[in-house]
Amino acid sequence: MKPYDNRAWFLVLPALVIVTLVGILPLIAVTNYSFQDLFSLNNPYWIGIDWYRNIVTSDRFYASLGRSFLFSAIVLSIQLPLGIWIALLLQRSHQFIVSTVLVLITVPLVVPWNMIPVIWLNFINPNAGLAGRMLAWLGVGFDYKFNALHTWIVLVVMDTWHWLGLVVVLAYAGISSIPAAYYQAAAIDAASPWQVFRFIQLPKMKTVLSMAVLLRFMDSFMIYIEAFRINAGRPDSATAFLSLDLGEEIQSFNYGPSAARSIIYFLIVLTVAWTFKAATSTRARAPVGMEPTR
Amino acid sequence: MKSSLGRTVLFVVIGAFVLVPLAQTIMTSFVSTLPRAGITEGHFSLVNYRNILNSPVLKQAILNSIIYVVLNVALCLGVGLPAAYAFARYSFVGDRQLFFLLLVFRITPTVVLSLPIFVLFAQIGLENTPVGIALVHCVFNIPISIWILEGFIASVPREFDETAFLDGHSLPSFFFRHLVPAIAPGIGVTAFFCFIFSWVEVVLARILTTTGGKPITMAINALFGFRTDFGLVMAMTVLALVPGIAMIYFVRNHLAKGFVIRT
Repeated sequence: MKPYDNRAWFLVLPALVIVTLVGILPLIAVTNYSFQDLFSLNNPYWIGIDWYRNIVTSDRFYASLGRSFLFSAIVLSIQLPLGIWIALLLQRSHQFIVSTVLVLITVPLVVPWNMIPVIWLNFINPNAGLAGRMLAWLGVGFDYKFNALHTWIVLVVMDTWHWLGLVVVLAYAGISSIPAAYYQAAAIDAASPWQVFRFIQLPKMKTVLSMAVLLRFMDSFMIYIEAFRINAGRPDSATAFLSLDLGEEIQSFNYGPSAARSIIYFLIVLTVAWTFKAATSTRARAPVGMEPTR
Repeated sequence: MKSSLGRTVLFVVIGAFVLVPLAQTIMTSFVSTLPRAGITEGHFSLVNYRNILNSPVLKQAILNSIIYVVLNVALCLGVGLPAAYAFARYSFVGDRQLFFLLLVFRITPTVVLSLPIFVLFAQIGLENTPVGIALVHCVFNIPISIWILEGFIASVPREFDETAFLDGHSLPSFFFRHLVPAIAPGIGVTAFFCFIFSWVEVVLARILTTTGGKPITMAINALFGFRTDFGLVMAMTVLALVPGIAMIYFVRNHLAKGFVIRT
């Protein structure tokens, strides 16, 4: 039980001041813009909920929303099991291999986001790229510019290349915090590897995995630069995600509609985060099994 | 035996999946991709790296990125450490709500906040400066640093603090002399994650640097044009990777521990 002391607020205050300046104040401003028609930022005209009504009654919004959710669902259903599997294999490996694999798999995380599509477009270029030439040699007609399925494949593979490392790191963090005593108890009870995974590892990884799901959901849900650079939402709007619609609106300086779109976007984020909080806060707060570092 | 072979094969496949696109990037960076006098197009050449060294704009962009990322890491650790200590050691009015609020800002799409941040920073003269970007990246890096640091502090037994206080240490003295050394790996991991999220971010960096103070990411964007010198683009990308890879190397053994929180 932690001591109750409101003076702890003073320790949190500096962080809160900065977050207010760069997060809360801008959010209040966006909310304000979303109810205005702004010819310029100094020339607002109150129009109420018109922008919201326009967005939620348009078919395009629901189509983009559906595509965004579908993309996140596909990405999560690939990266999460794959990440957990790699982490489980790492747990039984030599420390040197663990370090090497973790270093390798996190390298794509440090690539500037706008360079990821550049690297991949170079890689799948049919004339100069290794993957492009390989596909041509195999006789596979790969055309990400005009074939929607191929554009989706490029985006999913590229996103997996970019983010798998984060899922592996989180899953491995969860697994390595499990005390050895749990495994010893399981061995005494002659538990199968599946039972160990289902009843020891998975529950113990729940917190970090829910964090992985949340982070991966949000980052894939707002995929922008990659989709824009690869095909700008084409072919036939097949990759026009919610974020691309918002980007288009901001680039045309439609302040009011883009602010309303931003708020809707933010509310979706909030709803998902709240659902997660509700789903994960049932557990009791207890210290981890991690040894103190000193 | 069989399973260890399978594991090795899988790790090799993953390694190849990660490395091959990067290998091609590195290869392209050492090739002249535009017709130039005296250099055969498509052959090995250091021309791209020489061009970066000869370009004040590109060198300045690299320096800008380094300045704002270092500032951001310092800010996030500076305010994140005391906040994480408060969350790890005390209960107080609104602690859970505040923790949730911070989490919400970590996952808020940056594009949502981009327009008012630009307006606000233009009013207070923080646009086109590395300080502005460093500050704005705090919106998602402060939550992440509090989250990671809280896990590390919570894993240090409370008796550790109590003994220090009994020995007559004040809170600041305990912080710097005992707590910081005790959670040094955690600070390294936090610095790493603040570093990468700030280094790779594009949306806010772009809107805040319309004329000057461009970071490396925007300098790379500016290289695209009618006749893009892909060799130069790839050489800049390779340089953009170096600090990140160096940081990964330093924190490699503590990387996973960064996210070990309450289970």
